[in-house]
Amino acid sequence: MLLSEGSQSMFAALIGAVTAAATLAMQSPAMADGPITLWYQRGCNPEQQRILQKDLVAPFNAAHPTTPLTLDVRGGSNGDRQIRMAVISGKGPDIVMTPGPSTTLALVLSDHLLPLDDYIKKYNLDKRILAPVLKTGEYKGHNYALPRTFETMVLYYNKTLFDKNGWTPPKSIAELNALAEAMQAKNITPFSVGNADWRAANEWHVTVVLNHYAGPENIYKALKGEIPWTDPVFVQAIDMLKDWYQKGWFGKNYFSLSGDQEALLLAKGEAGMAPNGTFSFDNMVAAFKQSGQELGVAALPSLRDGVPYPTYAIGTGSTMSINKNSANPDGAGAFLDYLYSDAFYDLISRDWPGDWNLPLTSIDEAKLAKNVSPLFAATVTSFSKAVAQGNFGYTTWTFWPPATEDYLIHGIEQVWLGQISTDDYLKKMQETFAKEMADGKVPPLAAR
Amino acid sequence: MPFLLPALVINVVIILIPALLTIAMAFVEWDGVSIPTFVGFDNFRTIFADPVFFSALLNNIKWTLIFLTVPIAIGLVAGSLLLVVRRGRTFFQIVYFLPVIIATVVIARVWQGMIYNPESGLVGWLKLYGFVLSDPLALPPTALYAVASVDLWHWWGFLAVIFFAALRQVDMAQIDAAMLDGANFLQLMRYVLLPAIRPTITLMMIMTVIWSFLVFDFVYVLTQGGPAYSSEVLSTLSYRYAFYNYTIGPAAAVALVISFFGLIATVFYVRIQQREGV
Repeated sequence: MLLSEGSQSMFAALIGAVTAAATLAMQSPAMADGPITLWYQRGCNPEQQRILQKDLVAPFNAAHPTTPLTLDVRGGSNGDRQIRMAVISGKGPDIVMTPGPSTTLALVLSDHLLPLDDYIKKYNLDKRILAPVLKTGEYKGHNYALPRTFETMVLYYNKTLFDKNGWTPPKSIAELNALAEAMQAKNITPFSVGNADWRAANEWHVTVVLNHYAGPENIYKALKGEIPWTDPVFVQAIDMLKDWYQKGWFGKNYFSLSGDQEALLLAKGEAGMAPNGTFSFDNMVAAFKQSGQELGVAALPSLRDGVPYPTYAIGTGSTMSINKNSANPDGAGAFLDYLYSDAFYDLISRDWPGDWNLPLTSIDEAKLAKNVSPLFAATVTSFSKAVAQGNFGYTTWTFWPPATEDYLIHGIEQVWLGQISTDDYLKKMQETFAKEMADGKVPPLAAR
Repeated sequence: MPFLLPALVINVVIILIPALLTIAMAFVEWDGVSIPTFVGFDNFRTIFADPVFFSALLNNIKWTLIFLTVPIAIGLVAGSLLLVVRRGRTFFQIVYFLPVIIATVVIARVWQGMIYNPESGLVGWLKLYGFVLSDPLALPPTALYAVASVDLWHWWGFLAVIFFAALRQVDMAQIDAAMLDGANFLQLMRYVLLPAIRPTITLMMIMTVIWSFLVFDFVYVLTQGGPAYSSEVLSTLSYRYAFYNYTIGPAAAVALVISFFGLIATVFYVRIQQREGV
């Protein structure tokens, strides 16, 4: 019997769901009964909601009929606040989803989350989740949050343009400088970047220079309070970023371009490269499909001698915890067991790649390439391997405390526009950081 | 008196209690989750030590001055023209009023993407014909005015309709007499129409002061206060303190400053009301 493409994928998904449910039914130990709830905190269109019902809810419920999961989408800009308010009021969902470690930390400090150590041990989650990423949920020796997303900064580039000009992705600062100059000589913008629809995009670039110029070792020391943010290595890093902006590497319209527009400029070859997150992969693919040119992805270059290449900064834009007031924490624990399973990852990576890039140790390029584009599979697996080998850095949105991060985002615009000096910027950042550190607001740090 | 009770209950529950809580929060250190700690005037010291607070306050003052003049002037001219020119009056009222009923986010996105944007907007289109313009939202000296222009476009029609409604209450005999005496349009405005609708203009100006210190939506959607804080206003600063920095105390302190300006305008209005009542 011949099936249409849509029917084939539906059939494959159905088989996948049944297999996942069967696997779960065989593996799951006896649970406490009772329904469990998850308020999904990220934006989610109707098609994505259908995917979550099919890949997440249906297989879990089939395997745990006495612990049915209800998924309630609380997207939009205040979904996070709804969950926070409900949890601190002693209510809220059993499974608490947050937009990152700094939000989680506030709930940990106020004793609203359950330590997950028993479930991590019971389900061997420490073997299934990459250790440095798992560490982002650890506070005072106990783990309270599991990372749901695993993201990093990479260098997207227009492969068609590169091939035509005989260019290769840069691996060092010298190569990057030469490439950017060659691009500007041809009236091509080196970096296609913008912040019109997401002002926090500023911190992607700060993350790049801090990790690839100052280096993860220095960031680690600064986040531990061992060296200040005013250290010369950070001054040089921010000066480099300022120099890029003022030399026109970001183009003329940084404050006007939206994510879609910057992807399209890259895809059309009007810009050559784009430092951006793995979360933008779908966006890039869509733009290149529109232009008919070929997308390339590489690790970001080392910007200073001694900073290893490749280095990937770890980012966790979403975490999962269990509410201390949950009536069925064991059911929530079983859900976490399913969430971090190969069975679920197989389903979700096919239906919704990018946003559901779980930090699993079992990620395999060949296996993943069956579900997603080979480029995405190669990017994700090289990232996972680098992290497993210890070549990782720290994204600002995962490891910085909230007020320091907010200043980092907005203050860098003043540096770019020449309103304040790099020294003043880092001095204010250090003051803000020192206060938050004293208040215990620095999120857990993945040790080196 | 009992018929006032429902309104009183609603006011106490949804206005008075949150207002008192906001006042209380301005004197505590709180991240929105943990137990609040009393810190006296520390939150006010924090905001007064933040240079962004003063630039935001200045932006609110500039915003107030713009909205006290430009839309009120346009509204008065358009409203009086509607009174004088009777043909097509209903059509023009609808056209003037239309932007008022369009959602803020829709208007902001249309201006941002279809007018100001250098790739997809009018600015980008003009570039194709040799008129090189910059996106005013992207430049610190113009960002606030670019946002204000969008709000002005959406707002002046409302004032035009309000002023027209007030002008229609003016005795037509006075207008006819002035015209028979040879008064031109400016003289008619100066000596007949403006004095007749002065209470309406005063009310609108006082409300403008209050609304100008509450402005949030257009700024938040179009620039989020940037670039480099150039379009930051007190309400977006308060929002950033509360929901990005998780520092509720300084956010509440900024909210109290906003309320202070609203209070001044309200006292001013009540005084005028009392004087005119006498």
